[in-house]
Amino acid sequence: MIELVDVTKKFGQKLAVDRLSLRVRAGELFAFLGPNGAGKTTTIKIICGLLAPTSGAVRIAGYDVTRDGRNARHLLSYVPDQPYLYEKLTGREFLQFVIDMYGIPCDTGARRMAELIETFDMRSYIDSLTETYSHGMKQRVVFAAALVRDPRVLVLDEPMVGLDPKSARLIKDLLRARAAAGAAVFMSTHTLAMAEEIADTIAIVDRGRLVSYGTLGELRATMQMEGPLEDLFLHLTAESSEA
Amino acid sequence: MTGEHAGERGKVNQAAPSMASEARPPVREARVFARLRTRLVRNIVRVRLRQSRLRLSLVLIFSVLFWVLLFGLFFEGFSFVNKHLPVGNELIGYLFSLFFMALLVMLVFSTGLILYSGLFRSREAAFLLTTPASADHIFAYKFQESLAFSSWGFLLLGSPMMTAYGITRFAPDWFYALFVAYFLVFILVPGSVGAIACLLIVTYLPRRKREFLIACGAALLVGMIAWIVYLGRATPGEVLTETWMDALLARLRFSREPLLPSQWMSEGLMAAAGGDARMAAFYFLVIAANAGFLYLIATLTARGVYRRGYSNAQGSRSTRLPRSWYWVDRALTHVFGFANPSIRLLIFKDIRTFRRDPVQWSQFLIFFGLLALYFLNIRRLSYDINSAYWRNLVSFLNLAVTALILSTFTSRFVFPMVSLEGRKFWILGLLPVERDHILWGKFAFAVGGALFPSELLVLLSDIMLRLDWSMILLHTMTVLILCMGLAGISVGLGARLPNLSEDDPSKIAAGFGGTLNLVVSMLFIFLIVVMLALPCHLYFAGLEAERHGVTFATEREFRFWMALSIAGSVAIGYAAAVVPMRIGARAFRELET
Repeated sequence: MIELVDVTKKFGQKLAVDRLSLRVRAGELFAFLGPNGAGKTTTIKIICGLLAPTSGAVRIAGYDVTRDGRNARHLLSYVPDQPYLYEKLTGREFLQFVIDMYGIPCDTGARRMAELIETFDMRSYIDSLTETYSHGMKQRVVFAAALVRDPRVLVLDEPMVGLDPKSARLIKDLLRARAAAGAAVFMSTHTLAMAEEIADTIAIVDRGRLVSYGTLGELRATMQMEGPLEDLFLHLTAESSEA
Repeated sequence: MTGEHAGERGKVNQAAPSMASEARPPVREARVFARLRTRLVRNIVRVRLRQSRLRLSLVLIFSVLFWVLLFGLFFEGFSFVNKHLPVGNELIGYLFSLFFMALLVMLVFSTGLILYSGLFRSREAAFLLTTPASADHIFAYKFQESLAFSSWGFLLLGSPMMTAYGITRFAPDWFYALFVAYFLVFILVPGSVGAIACLLIVTYLPRRKREFLIACGAALLVGMIAWIVYLGRATPGEVLTETWMDALLARLRFSREPLLPSQWMSEGLMAAAGGDARMAAFYFLVIAANAGFLYLIATLTARGVYRRGYSNAQGSRSTRLPRSWYWVDRALTHVFGFANPSIRLLIFKDIRTFRRDPVQWSQFLIFFGLLALYFLNIRRLSYDINSAYWRNLVSFLNLAVTALILSTFTSRFVFPMVSLEGRKFWILGLLPVERDHILWGKFAFAVGGALFPSELLVLLSDIMLRLDWSMILLHTMTVLILCMGLAGISVGLGARLPNLSEDDPSKIAAGFGGTLNLVVSMLFIFLIVVMLALPCHLYFAGLEAERHGVTFATEREFRFWMALSIAGSVAIGYAAAVVPMRIGARAFRELET
């Protein structure tokens, strides 16, 4: 569903992503890990079509993001680390804008919106202007906007930032449910315990390069290490830095 | 991204399900964006009406006052020209052509710069680019916004001018509706050119766009200087004589080139005012057709390059700054040596921010450069050999112009300073310094930045006018009062009426607070200049009258009124600096983000 083939991104002389190749299948929850400055957000922006790769290709369900970005983006929902909402719209109006933009039929859109308002417990504030929302409230609206159109590909950058434990639990369950329903979920996170808990596949990048890729079991087997993901992560990124 | 609309061409994996194009009903993006805009505007109006009626009323009152004042000025001007000059209508034609040409250039720059922020730096653009919205629709949506922000001043300035012109020319009723339509299609011309330039520069010169803009600004400045010098030096005859005027008009004939949009505006509006509907319609359609064509090119350019440009712009910022400017910081450490170390650091922060934003100082340079050029040509215009009465009048007019230009800069750059701290405000909030000190630091920065060029300009004007030392001293003091007052008003009101959610300084300046700041600043300038100019004017008028045997003020009376004016202006200047700062400081202390 998501395919990166030899993707390289340079900012001037700086190499942000270095020949990265990955594949995330339908129904797979993929955790993308790495230290700060490893190239995670750059990779995500390339997947979403915000940045063009210097070389290589990104495909979403077979659509090349660079050449056929419109079709690719239609299949994809993106939840950024810093949620963007129109401050002078209410949460409901924002969701309606997303429904309109993606051409979702009115009745389907209204039904999904109502379901998500219930799911995320947004009834008390959904008709207030978003400028009055807290970070957590904004994050919920952004999640609802990402899910309201039932995307086949869900890309999330640090989805747990600013969420309370209850919301965090809800998001984890929803992500698993989306994957179980056949969506490809690509998530970057620093919350290693969450990745360990819900991810099917884990990729670790450092300085733009893929240093490890597989299920948690495969990573352990490759590294010949037992223990939590945190130990594996620290070991791998330390090794990469030394190299 | 030019292949975005290539349909199946980009589908590289034929085995993959083509859900995207199969299940998707057509989306009328223009309608979706129009609905978004309508909702945003409706909500903003509702919130303003509910929460800030006073603010809204003030905006309306000041706008109406400003409009009426401008209307009065233009009405008197047009009446004078019609009454006293035999070539009045021809002269107005030249003035219109030059006015619209100047607007053309200014709107190209301002729309381009505002659009740059909207298309390449805003979080909204990043959000919209992740949706399936096509690049040209996103562009069109942001273009409307940028055009509105860059040209509302033109509409505010142009409508009283055209209304006054229409009345003095006994224009038919339809003229008043038509000139609005003329304005609306005209702004599309420079707006589209600015947009095309913005898209192409960011896409093809992402790493050199700053240097390119500086080079363009410098070229424009040099070109204007060369042109003004040429006009001044090469025009034969005594200044303001008929020969001189004829020669000047001949040299300005380029502004009436039939291929210039400014000339179409001038011809069309003058024809409409004269009741010639056929010519008015002809020129309107010429402008509309060209505006439509240029806008089409702009949207096609956006469709072709916007996404690539956005991607290029994100990676274009240099991570390492050259150290060549650090000597300035070291020098300033000594200049601001008297200040508290933490305040000094905050002043440096503002200086560095200013220095690293060429949009700010290049405008500063262009306007003050043009003013300096005019002052340098004072002797060429023979103002210096006029009587003391005229020289005094011209000197105060020059001082007022310098102060008015300065007030537009304090409104544009100083007023938004507190607002621009925005989301970073917690950094200032947590600093181990009093919040009042932060504000006074900004005040010191604003005074320092304003004082140096303004004093220099006014000194230049006075020297060129051969004023005596007492008048130079008086003007130096006036500039000091004006700078302190303008800085106090802008920093104080900026802290009292911050817009912490906006990142774009031009939008902050164009909002309610910025407009109020500009109006208050202008009133302050008017008050100070009139208060000090009036006794001087009466004194020199008295000297002039004495030559004709009339005396209406003795030296002693003049000294008394002068002392009173100086004391009054110092008191008003002090109040203008301190009162807004206190109001701002109180609001700033209570500010929570």
